[in-house]
Amino acid sequence: MKAIVDCNSFYCSCERVFRPDLTTRPVVVLSNNDGCIVSRTDEAKKLGVGMAAPYYQNKDVIEKNDVAVFSSNYNLYGDLSARVMDTLRELAGAGNVEVYSVDEAFLDLSTVPNEQLYKVAKEIKETVEEWTGIKVSIGVAPTKVLAKVANRLSKKDKQQSNCIMVLDTEEKILKALKQTAVEDIWGVGHRSSTKLKQLWSIYDGLQLRNMTEEWAKTTLGGVVGVRLIKELKGEQTIEMKDPLEQKKMIATTRMFGKPVHELSDLKEAVATYTSRAAEKLRRQSCAAKFIDVFVVTNDYEGNQYEYHPKTKHNHVKLLQPTSHTNELIKNAVPLVEKLYTRGSKYLKAGVMLGGLVPDESIQGNIFKTDTANHQRILMQALDNLNFSMRDDVVKYVASGLKRNWKMRQEMRSGRYTTRWDELFAIH
Amino acid sequence: MDGEYFSGAAYRGSKQFSQQDVRTANATGFGAAADDYAERGIDLNEQLIRNKPATFFFRMKGDAMTGAGIFDGDVLIVDRSLKLADGKVIVAILNGELLIRRYHKNFSSAFLIAENERFKSINLAEFNDFSLWGVVVYSIHQL
Repeated sequence: MKAIVDCNSFYCSCERVFRPDLTTRPVVVLSNNDGCIVSRTDEAKKLGVGMAAPYYQNKDVIEKNDVAVFSSNYNLYGDLSARVMDTLRELAGAGNVEVYSVDEAFLDLSTVPNEQLYKVAKEIKETVEEWTGIKVSIGVAPTKVLAKVANRLSKKDKQQSNCIMVLDTEEKILKALKQTAVEDIWGVGHRSSTKLKQLWSIYDGLQLRNMTEEWAKTTLGGVVGVRLIKELKGEQTIEMKDPLEQKKMIATTRMFGKPVHELSDLKEAVATYTSRAAEKLRRQSCAAKFIDVFVVTNDYEGNQYEYHPKTKHNHVKLLQPTSHTNELIKNAVPLVEKLYTRGSKYLKAGVMLGGLVPDESIQGNIFKTDTANHQRILMQALDNLNFSMRDDVVKYVASGLKRNWKMRQEMRSGRYTTRWDELFAIH
Repeated sequence: MDGEYFSGAAYRGSKQFSQQDVRTANATGFGAAADDYAERGIDLNEQLIRNKPATFFFRMKGDAMTGAGIFDGDVLIVDRSLKLADGKVIVAILNGELLIRRYHKNFSSAFLIAENERFKSINLAEFNDFSLWGVVVYSIHQL
């Protein structure tokens, strides 16, 4: 059997760990730059606060109902996420945990006898909450797709389900699929769900399960569709993945704190994002073959909330794959110069590093000149300093000292678990 | 996750060490006599933190616990995986607030007691929303 453990309104749960007064109060967390709502509790949902909705559109409801609002505190969320995953590894064995996202993990429970699945799931849920303060929901079923279905239903009526749903019999599986709309099934995209409804009158999971594999092959995108049908029928086709699977592309992009007009600010931002992306690149021991830089402008005059963004891209292929920040900045910054037009309002910029290959320079190379190794040692020193001292203590001057464009985070809570000088004060 | 891999870069934990990390291990001759006694140094993380994902740090504010040797500005190490028991210094949740006090329980009642005469004891019978946040296991005091 497979299980999926999913943290309930994860970012909001993190905010509640140190604020028990918020346990029953509605809470929302805003995106980078306080633009949109990225996490909301059930209480906030009931008030009609939309997901991914712009903050200003919900401001009235939020103020009227005393909703607690937080800017995102990714340092806190990242740390608590690692604690949740560590707890799961402790309980289920490290090899049986596949971290799927910051707040979700699959567990392989194939060694647990069926009659004990509920007990084990309950113990996992309670231990995670006791150790980390984070509430989770758990869905257990024969396959990953069905576990997702179970998890979704367990969240529907939390009091009744106690946030746990185990689909261990054919009967329970059929009933659960009947209650699940076709678009809510993991792997069914928005477009294919429209097609399924219009062309095939398939509205729920059960109807989809009753289709044949041959049908799936021709209408549901070939092999992927066949796998989906098999998973729905209880046959495992999606195995536990190697969690260290490497990414094909690394991107760093942010909204600016306020619109940026100057080329110098734009260049600083791009240099900063490049440094950050390069850091991620080195963390997975890769080098990039090309850089893509993009900027988003909004030159629409009128209502400030009307959003007519335009994105412009520019990219360059590097002569040699590299992971060195200075090389990457040297190539990225000229791209911005070409994208820039005076008088435009820039909202956002981003850097993408693509064509990733294993970084051979990391091993050091005796056939290369000494200076190549110097670069590698420099990058290691840079990463270690920035990791242990935090806040990018060592940075390239190209990334700016003033940082006029830095994002807004007006309502961020303390970084209680990652900063010695921001520990939670207790009386 | 990225974070974990990253933490490996600066702090490799205390259990992964190689022969090269033990300074005298490759020495010969006179220095080799010390090899028999070579071991790794004391690691405070290992000594003070029993259950890493469940351990959090707090900063003491005020003088409610001076009698227990906890002073303003001290850093508290709190383990959420430990159970509530009589006599433990705990981080309590009371009225939606976090509070550090000593927990005292007898047959009929339970109290949260400050270790300072100026503070009154809290009779938990008067509250129905008391719960445990975590148990304080160490206090770090700077001299």
